[in-house]
Amino acid sequence: MLWYKAWMETRARFLFSLCGMVALPSYYVYHEAQGVEKFARLDWYYHSLHTGHGLIAAMWVAAVIFLMMGGLLREKAVGASSFTLALPVTRTSLMRVRILCGVCQAMALAVVPWMAMFLVSRATGMATSIYQAVFHVVLLAGGGLVFLALALLVSSVVEGEYTAPAVSFGIVFVDAIMLDTRGFGAFSPWGFIVGSEYFDRKTQLLLGSIPWVHLTVSILLAALLSGIAIKAVQRQEF
Amino acid sequence: MIFSKLAITSGEPLYLQLMQRIRHAAESGALQDGDQLPSIRALAEELVVSPNTVVKAYSELEHEGLIELRQGSGAFVTLSRRARSFLDRVERARERMAGFVSELREEGLRDDEIRRVFEAELLRAAAPVRTR
Amino acid sequence: MSDVPAIETNRLSKFYGRVGAVRGLTLSVGHNRLTGFLGRNGAGKSTTIKMLLGMVRPTSGEGTVLGKRIDDPAESVELRRDVAYLSEDKRLYGYMTVEQTIRFTASFYRDWRKEKADSLLRKFELPPGRKVKLLSKGMRTKLALLLALSRQPSLLILDEPSEGLDPIGVEQLLECLVAQSSEGTSVFFSSHQIEEVERIADQVCIVDQGRLLLDLSMDEIRESYRQIDLVFPFEPRQLEFDLPGVVNVRTKGYQMRVFSSGNTDEIIERARTHQATSVEVAPVGLRDVFLGTVRDGSNALV
Repeated sequence: MLWYKAWMETRARFLFSLCGMVALPSYYVYHEAQGVEKFARLDWYYHSLHTGHGLIAAMWVAAVIFLMMGGLLREKAVGASSFTLALPVTRTSLMRVRILCGVCQAMALAVVPWMAMFLVSRATGMATSIYQAVFHVVLLAGGGLVFLALALLVSSVVEGEYTAPAVSFGIVFVDAIMLDTRGFGAFSPWGFIVGSEYFDRKTQLLLGSIPWVHLTVSILLAALLSGIAIKAVQRQEF
Repeated sequence: MIFSKLAITSGEPLYLQLMQRIRHAAESGALQDGDQLPSIRALAEELVVSPNTVVKAYSELEHEGLIELRQGSGAFVTLSRRARSFLDRVERARERMAGFVSELREEGLRDDEIRRVFEAELLRAAAPVRTR
Repeated sequence: MSDVPAIETNRLSKFYGRVGAVRGLTLSVGHNRLTGFLGRNGAGKSTTIKMLLGMVRPTSGEGTVLGKRIDDPAESVELRRDVAYLSEDKRLYGYMTVEQTIRFTASFYRDWRKEKADSLLRKFELPPGRKVKLLSKGMRTKLALLLALSRQPSLLILDEPSEGLDPIGVEQLLECLVAQSSEGTSVFFSSHQIEEVERIADQVCIVDQGRLLLDLSMDEIRESYRQIDLVFPFEPRQLEFDLPGVVNVRTKGYQMRVFSSGNTDEIIERARTHQATSVEVAPVGLRDVFLGTVRDGSNALV
């Protein structure tokens, strides 16, 4: 019942994030749609969608960091690690379940809010292409796995109940600040998920085809970081 | 059958103390021939001692012939001839003891002094315990 | 009785840098017995138990639990299937309720006994629907105990089980341990509550500063360990009493107290030849054995 445990542990955080991420960006887009009448410029509306995506992306990264808060090291700070480690399961399977549960939750958090935003745009009569929606979601879900893996790795090496997420936030913050630094932009995970490289200021849309190569590299990087996290936990002493 | 708690800190292994309690119960008639003794688990829980103590006590008593361990049923008191002769010896020892104690009292020793001398002598010359 | 010991270690050591938490511990814990693991705080009891269960890696030495190697991850998972454990922390998942915790734990073990869990739930008076983080420390301990006892494991390891329990709770704990033992479970529990160990243990292992000092049966202690108080007409010399069986000797004026692990007759004989005017022999409790052994650390077993 390791899945049950992973779910119970993160249930509140997940549902809270989901509600927030569905409500806020959708409301923002809906609100902006009311103002389009006045300006009658579609690109203004598309800009709001892009901003909505930025909101979703920011909340997504925060949610993922909070979801990945946990694991044996956090239990050690609380005192429950002895109980978990006495169960007849390997540390690897503990990690595996935690990772997979996190990935499923992260995917849900990427898709559902965007679906809501998409439906709002349809409902307010603004025709957003499905392609744009999919492009955004894929960037977030695929490119964002790096953040998930990062939060996982940090929670596997940094001890303390709340220190790990604090460190993760710090790293993400640094990444976001450095986005505008020349040359770094192309490699910044944050820049990637908000689509800064593909964003066209004139049309306020993402241009081109979905960047599969960059996505694959991103996912592989996430896998690498996860592998390191698993190794760290295997070697840890409790 | 209710047994009083065993003395945890005394010079005597718990199983020997338990054996004495059971023998005393048999002598005094609290346990009759054919009566069933509590199960090992029940007695261990009641006295809050290790079940091994009860196991040892029961098996030694079986060896002495006082009880019989029947597979699947439990422990039963059997006043076999060997056990009866043993009980007779204990009875005779008690009579001799009564005489000796009254002698010591006449010599002026108080009861607690008699007890101390007696216990010290027992502790000193503790007989080697037969183990399985 | 099985030939394979329930727990066996060979020169097991754990060093944190230069600090030795466990030093060359060689231990053999038998089956179907209640074994007490006594020691002061910081003597290495918890670290030893954590090594046995794969939570801490030994620096050197080896060990087996139920015949399976503790330093092999696969065998470690295997042995944990048959071992029930109550940790020192006794902390569980705050976000689960009592009932959920029980269901969760039960799912991992084939030897789970639901009727036993239900009866312990009633006996300990635990509220099934309450979240663990809202339980008092005593209730948490009882829940942790319930999880360890609602099984039919081959071995039960408990680390300071009575900590956080009131006297009634302690009595219930001891009754449960005795009941578990009578069902064939080997029980290994660490404690610094000497009275509890003295009541129910068959065997006692005393550790200090990471080393095993003593490994005796309680019967042997009751039978052989003695305190001999002597009075002489002069100030006696301790050296005269360096006999086999003497654990330590203390003198004060004309009095001498000998703490012996056996050989009482020879000691008394020696006292008489030295014109002792008073010889009093008294039994020795586990507390005295513990204090006497731990204070005089030179009695470490090789």
